[in-house]
Amino acid sequence: MHTHDPVDSLRRPARAALALIAHRAALVGALCCNVGAAAAEIKLLPGEEAFRYAARAIDARTLEARFTIADGYYLYRDKLRFGVEPESVAVGAPALPPGKVKDDEFFGRVETYREQIVVRIPVERATPGQTLTLRADSQGCADVGVCYPPTSQRIAIVVPAAGAAAGAFVEATPPKKRWFQ
Amino acid sequence: MSAASPSRRWLVVGAAVLALLFGAWVARSLLQSGANRDASALMAVSLPDLQGVQQPLRQWQGKLVVVNFWATWCAPCREEMPMFVAAQKAHGAKGLQFVGIAVDEVAKVKQFAHEIGLNYPALIGGFGALELSRALGNSVMALPFTIIVGRDGQVMHTQLGPLNHNQLERLVEAGL
Repeated sequence: MHTHDPVDSLRRPARAALALIAHRAALVGALCCNVGAAAAEIKLLPGEEAFRYAARAIDARTLEARFTIADGYYLYRDKLRFGVEPESVAVGAPALPPGKVKDDEFFGRVETYREQIVVRIPVERATPGQTLTLRADSQGCADVGVCYPPTSQRIAIVVPAAGAAAGAFVEATPPKKRWFQ
Repeated sequence: MSAASPSRRWLVVGAAVLALLFGAWVARSLLQSGANRDASALMAVSLPDLQGVQQPLRQWQGKLVVVNFWATWCAPCREEMPMFVAAQKAHGAKGLQFVGIAVDEVAKVKQFAHEIGLNYPALIGGFGALELSRALGNSVMALPFTIIVGRDGQVMHTQLGPLNHNQLERLVEAGL
């Protein structure tokens, strides 16, 4: 009887099409929006977004590095290192601000930075108009209980002309978004 | 029949929407649990141990294998490892096998392995191991990252961040 029902015969391909759509939706969900099997449990930022590095030249004798740290993340003070290229430019000791003391079960008393830190780095033999690269080595963790590997980032900055205003901060270029991981 | 068709049509549409949502949910939960995934890519890996001898992961196939990516610079990793040592001791004879892959240098790993009395293989992966972990679902490349592979070679569980004791016991019980 139902074989003669026009609605029913229409419904069958429709149903098949919808089943296909549902299947495709599942597939697309599985392929495109790969949040990572594990990362789904705790949402985490990639290291370069959790710890955003920027740099500028104030004058020929002073560079400035800035880390903007996402909420729930921290950097280790004693893992911060700076270097300048070219090597003809001499680097002095950076003025690291005191961090927040954290009693770590394994590392003992460690100082950590949260929110934002700005570090002044004295340099010698840099010339106005010169392009320098300020390298920052850093390592940090998230409060949820994961740590990011030690990272080295480089930013090219231009030393301002003598008597000119301090340069503007240059952000580290974020890596290209990887849609398919 | 035609009188009933508008409501039936809505039924079909409703069913389709439900099917769509269900499909999305299945995909999502598959991703979340990391279940039903073949672990052959991971098991094909071979890395040097602390003596520099290549250790193919395939040798532990058929056991319940817990692969833990870790490093000495990672405090949460160091924190959870004594629990792995205890679990290896308690369930090793029944077929549980922990394998540590260190994103680290040999000397540092040796020292820490000695400190905690590591009773399972510590393989040296270096920073390349982070890329390997990314391919296995560790999209942000943070540590610790753990993958549990069942006796059947399927991924039972993946986890970014430390496991807690109850969770580990439950998974081990389910997998053995």
